[in-house]
Amino acid sequence: MGVIEYEDFKPGPRAQMEWGFGGRRRWRDGALLMALFLGGIGAGQFVISTWAIKSVDSALVGVLIVGIGKTVAHLVYLGQPKRFYRLFLRPRTSWVSRGLIFMVVFLVFALAYLAPDIGFGWVPWTSGSTLGQAIWAAAVLSAALVMVYDGFVLASCKSITSWNTALMPPLFFTYAIAGGVAMTYLTMTITGGEILNQTTLTDLDVILLGTMLALLVIYIVNMAASTSTAKEALRRLIATRLAISFIGLAIVAGLMVPLALTYLHELKIEGAVASILLATSSLLELAGDLSVRHSILRAGLHTPVFSEGL
Amino acid sequence: MVRWGMVIDLKRCISCHSCTVACKAEHHTPPGVFWAKVVRVESGKYPTVIRQAIPLLCMNCKEPECEKVCPTGATKKRPDGIVTVDPKQCVGCRYCAVACPYGARSFTKEWRDYFTGEKKPSSAYAERARKKWLEESDKGVVSKCTFCVERIEKGRQPACVEACPCEARTFGDLDDPESEVSQLIKKRRGMQLHPEYGTDASVYYLPAR
Repeated sequence: MGVIEYEDFKPGPRAQMEWGFGGRRRWRDGALLMALFLGGIGAGQFVISTWAIKSVDSALVGVLIVGIGKTVAHLVYLGQPKRFYRLFLRPRTSWVSRGLIFMVVFLVFALAYLAPDIGFGWVPWTSGSTLGQAIWAAAVLSAALVMVYDGFVLASCKSITSWNTALMPPLFFTYAIAGGVAMTYLTMTITGGEILNQTTLTDLDVILLGTMLALLVIYIVNMAASTSTAKEALRRLIATRLAISFIGLAIVAGLMVPLALTYLHELKIEGAVASILLATSSLLELAGDLSVRHSILRAGLHTPVFSEGL
Repeated sequence: MVRWGMVIDLKRCISCHSCTVACKAEHHTPPGVFWAKVVRVESGKYPTVIRQAIPLLCMNCKEPECEKVCPTGATKKRPDGIVTVDPKQCVGCRYCAVACPYGARSFTKEWRDYFTGEKKPSSAYAERARKKWLEESDKGVVSKCTFCVERIEKGRQPACVEACPCEARTFGDLDDPESEVSQLIKKRRGMQLHPEYGTDASVYYLPAR
């Protein structure tokens, strides 16, 4: 039964009730969170797999995560999924339109780049040819746009001060790349493939984890020094049940523990133990990635509609 | 060109919710959907505490954020300044509902009966309400106040304006400097909500003090 939502009649900061899950949101609204998460890690996995370790299998998994996972999640979320094609109509002003166009462009170029290696040998290019490299560059560029656009979607909401910050795009981009590293490592571990340039991958992971931690600290400090609505959003992130997701999962389990595990791995631990350490670190990073997106969506508070003195 | 707008006198509003009920009766919005609502705010410190009722509705902004972010083009601004949602074009992504600084938009997954909470109407009146709602909006889309555009086109006032027993609401042409709304804004220093967002809202509030 529909009920009067307290948020509708609230005089103070008002939580956005449409995106993400939890609270009084409908469970299907969580599909949008999954769409953002899958889009980020899938595009990140394609970039890392083709650039750092040259693995076709892992790159294909990344493309499928975006092409199937993200697409299905978006369709589940929409109120009228049969009209999904209309989402592409307003790229001049809407970041949702832009993001979905980036996604289609990415899928076209990524599949074109992988085509010669996945059974379509008749195409007039190979992955190493000049044309193949041009297609790869276009795929990587569009993947980067897929990774960053959700940050712009959130940052464009002027009345939600905890989102309306220039930190959103780099934060989402960094998490997407790190999620891509984690997914690449997990895919290679599961398929039993040999990871070329493993040191490069772990070094990159450490840099990304450090960057994410720095961005989150800046995000928190920025909120603490911002409007009263942003301060209330911060209070929810660190002093309510949401802290389990933000501090517990996103910061401790998703950043601190993986940093420690990667450091342990660097201490010349080898063989099965090293693989277990890196796989655990990757799983925790993915959980942290999902949690940070969930926490940011849940902490989205609108500035009060009216101020004192009216 | 006419630009429709509303002026709400906060000194006159007594928080009777007649506007909310009139809107519901006019548009048969389902449970949980409030195009017109009244929010109570307390401000100040003892002994000068003030409890103020503030009626809220869609501001039908001149520069609407909802129109900018809508990826489908379902949200449109008419030449007379009224912002509408075409339920046949909306996909229910709710970007507009999140981007609107005034919380004026509602998403309805399914029509539900007010008394039973079921999707099936429980009475002839509920059936008529369901039909009216589906004519005006749709399931799985976003809806909002349009200043009762269908009444304006017939030369009538919006339902909330007609229903207000204290005559706290005045409706008219903001572009006409001689109109009652323009005069009230000028004489009583009418204010828009959140002018800093650059939305140029078409609803003005006359201060209570």
